[in-house]
Amino acid sequence: MSEVAPGQVVLEVRGIVKRFPGVVANDHVDLQVRAGEVLALLGENGAGKTTLMNIIYGLYTPDEGEIYVMGRRVHIRGPKDAISLGIGMVHQHFMQVEELTVLENIILGLREFGIILDTEKAKRMLEEAFQRYGLRVDPDAYIWQLSAGEKQRVEIMKALFRGAKILILDEPTSVLTPQETKELFKTLRKFVEGGMAVIFITHKLQEVMEVADRIVVMRRGKVVGRLMREEATIPQLARLMVGREVLFRIEKGEARPGEVVLRVEGLRAMSDKGVEAVKGITFSVRKGEIVGVAGVAGNGQKELVEVLYGLRRPTAGRVTLFGKDVTGEPTHRIIKFGISLIPEERVTMGIVPTFSVADNLILEIVDREPFSQKVFDGLRKLSFENIEKYAEELIRKFDIRTPSSKTKAGYLSGGNIQKLILARELSRGAYLIIADQPTAGLDVGATEFIRNLLVKARDSGNAVFLVSGDLSEVLSLSDRVMVMYEGEITAVFRPGELPIEEIGLYMLGAKKMPKEEVERFWE
Amino acid sequence: MRIRLERRGEVPLYVYILAPTGAFLLAFLMGAFLMLWAGASPIKGYGAFLRGAFGGLKPFTNTLLRATPFLLMATGISLSNRSNVLNIGAEGQYIMGAIAMTWIAVLMQNSVPGFIVILVGVILAVIVGALWAGAAGYLKAKMGINEVVVTVMLNWVAIMLLKWLLRGPLKDPRSQQWPMSPPIGPHLPYIYGNLNLGFVIAVLLAIAIWYVLFRTNIGFKLRACGENPRAARYAGFNVEGMLILSMLISGAMAGMAGAFDVIGTFHILYEGIVVGLGYTSIIVALVGKNHPLAVIGSAIMFGAIYNGVTSMQSVTQLSYTLSKCIEGMIYLFFLISEFLVLYRIRLIRGDAS
Repeated sequence: MSEVAPGQVVLEVRGIVKRFPGVVANDHVDLQVRAGEVLALLGENGAGKTTLMNIIYGLYTPDEGEIYVMGRRVHIRGPKDAISLGIGMVHQHFMQVEELTVLENIILGLREFGIILDTEKAKRMLEEAFQRYGLRVDPDAYIWQLSAGEKQRVEIMKALFRGAKILILDEPTSVLTPQETKELFKTLRKFVEGGMAVIFITHKLQEVMEVADRIVVMRRGKVVGRLMREEATIPQLARLMVGREVLFRIEKGEARPGEVVLRVEGLRAMSDKGVEAVKGITFSVRKGEIVGVAGVAGNGQKELVEVLYGLRRPTAGRVTLFGKDVTGEPTHRIIKFGISLIPEERVTMGIVPTFSVADNLILEIVDREPFSQKVFDGLRKLSFENIEKYAEELIRKFDIRTPSSKTKAGYLSGGNIQKLILARELSRGAYLIIADQPTAGLDVGATEFIRNLLVKARDSGNAVFLVSGDLSEVLSLSDRVMVMYEGEITAVFRPGELPIEEIGLYMLGAKKMPKEEVERFWE
Repeated sequence: MRIRLERRGEVPLYVYILAPTGAFLLAFLMGAFLMLWAGASPIKGYGAFLRGAFGGLKPFTNTLLRATPFLLMATGISLSNRSNVLNIGAEGQYIMGAIAMTWIAVLMQNSVPGFIVILVGVILAVIVGALWAGAAGYLKAKMGINEVVVTVMLNWVAIMLLKWLLRGPLKDPRSQQWPMSPPIGPHLPYIYGNLNLGFVIAVLLAIAIWYVLFRTNIGFKLRACGENPRAARYAGFNVEGMLILSMLISGAMAGMAGAFDVIGTFHILYEGIVVGLGYTSIIVALVGKNHPLAVIGSAIMFGAIYNGVTSMQSVTQLSYTLSKCIEGMIYLFFLISEFLVLYRIRLIRGDAS
């Protein structure tokens, strides 16, 4: 395909329609991708971006419409067809074998290295490719040893090794640090200079402006805008995306911190793999403030949250709530003591999808009056009337968009599921709210709503502990910030005190504040 | 051309009723061909089937008697299915319950009043059945050992134990070489004909378990643990505890079924009690959508099929295997109809690119 001239249309879809029960995910979508360009596909969650790409990659069959590759009509019936047409896709979730090395993963299933693997030849080719694109991963490292960013590079390499000329990246930056994101963008530029076409799916406006040549905006399954990067502005893109002007600001006044609610001292915990994931950390959260944790996912945040919520036993250290020792208490007691959690994965951890919205709203407090009445010790009769009434009230108050309180929670959109979880967690009388990735994957409107709720919770006297992979979210919401790297706190500061680049260095472990300074910060 | 399965969206109620009815009719049609092939008259055969299942008060009460073990076991299986553990071992728990009841009867029936024998026997059967299933639940909860494997293996342990006991400690000394227990005198009070109190108890238990599952906090938590164990753990529920509890109850119900059959139907223990009622009960639970009230209906239906096939066999002189084959076909068509309610099959045409 080296004869492809820059600017030539390599992929075109015409009139693509894809219906799912109750929704039209793609409504007559037309799209052209040219060699030598990065095309950003921008849109909110549920706008139909990923559906479209899955059609191009052969994971879905379109109900209507045509696909052309290099001007020839094609029928793509599976990823195999897509790959043989030179289309490669890097998913949000990596498809790799953890127990194999980088090299093995990349050549897995390829025929040209023989039945008895010619690993020398493969390694030579891999090194060559790394050199050409300025990527770097140790070919002999095992996948489980890699960071998310490195895994992503492996995934990209896999696509290139299978002859991808059209590379689709689905929200590639959601797992990356700012530095890694910059590197990825550099690599993408090299790809397109070499004549490839890149489709970059995202809902982050900043990144679109940074890396795209051309921008296609989707909303509710339709293409609502096609622009060159030079003629686009962020407010304009935001308007196209959500169909109205969005203020990217949170109404947030000065914090009025009160007494210490949560105090954590020298906490240590193991990960599931049996490696120490939390290595002796100390911090505190006061009434009326938001303490944020910045850091790349996988640096002990998950384990820390689990320990605080009684889902994982600490190996050392102390956790106190209003001075009372709650170390190692089980979850149902932690809930009673007044800690709320907005969990990282809203659908798998936050709701029972087959239960109604009402049942999900009282999930943790089903044993309380008036939602159930005691029959005898341990057995309580549910009061549907009271559950319903409570649910209706929360649905109104938190603007949960649902046909009724009896609708199964799994049918709601991501944003509304998150509103349901927030409604439940903020309404059950907790003193401390732990929010783990509260807006990950949500669209602009829902993100704004949920961030404002957290600030409101703070202002009404709650202590809020925020963990987020979105650095700008941590910086805009928090009153105090700690950076976690490899299970330790590498920096503490107030938003505005440090430039972003420096925070990035702390997040990557390139820099570290002295332990005494970190501990003094919480006094 | 390719065949693809697609999950249906919302399924209207009439489909739930039409699909099993259609399955029934198709199975009967296939069965008719089998009967013709075997030289029997399908009209006579199915006439006998209907008379055997519903033809009058006597056959109908026999159907209810046959439905009793199905109802007890399928209600228990529904409960464990709801907490997402698969109890494939109702067969073994049923046998253990039957053994426990017989053992108590053999030990005590000559010295204490009958109702005490029944009380002690049924309680022991319930405990043994619960432990037989609870063991699998415990291994699953604490060590993640697959409950399907454990419960199936325990079925074989129970079957072998039964065979040994009938040739040893529980053997009736007067029975010459036949492996069977002495006759058991105490029996459940009769309601009409052979139908006894066991059926009423089974219905009441199904209603009680329905109430606990759908109207109380324990059922709420149990269902939450089954539907999404991770979210349940995050809500502070004891997921392992619920799993073990549901297996204990599931096993207790099967143990009770075994005891009831001994003192209500057979009045003796012999190897002939191992006919796969425990396995059939899995299908009964499935047809009843794991809903105890619906299971009452499906258990009666399966009791009717069981008795209908038996009467069909005796009237048409079909071989035992052939009549069992027709019974199996009815089950199979049911399962397929269940599947088609949830999925649709689509043929996808397309030429090579």
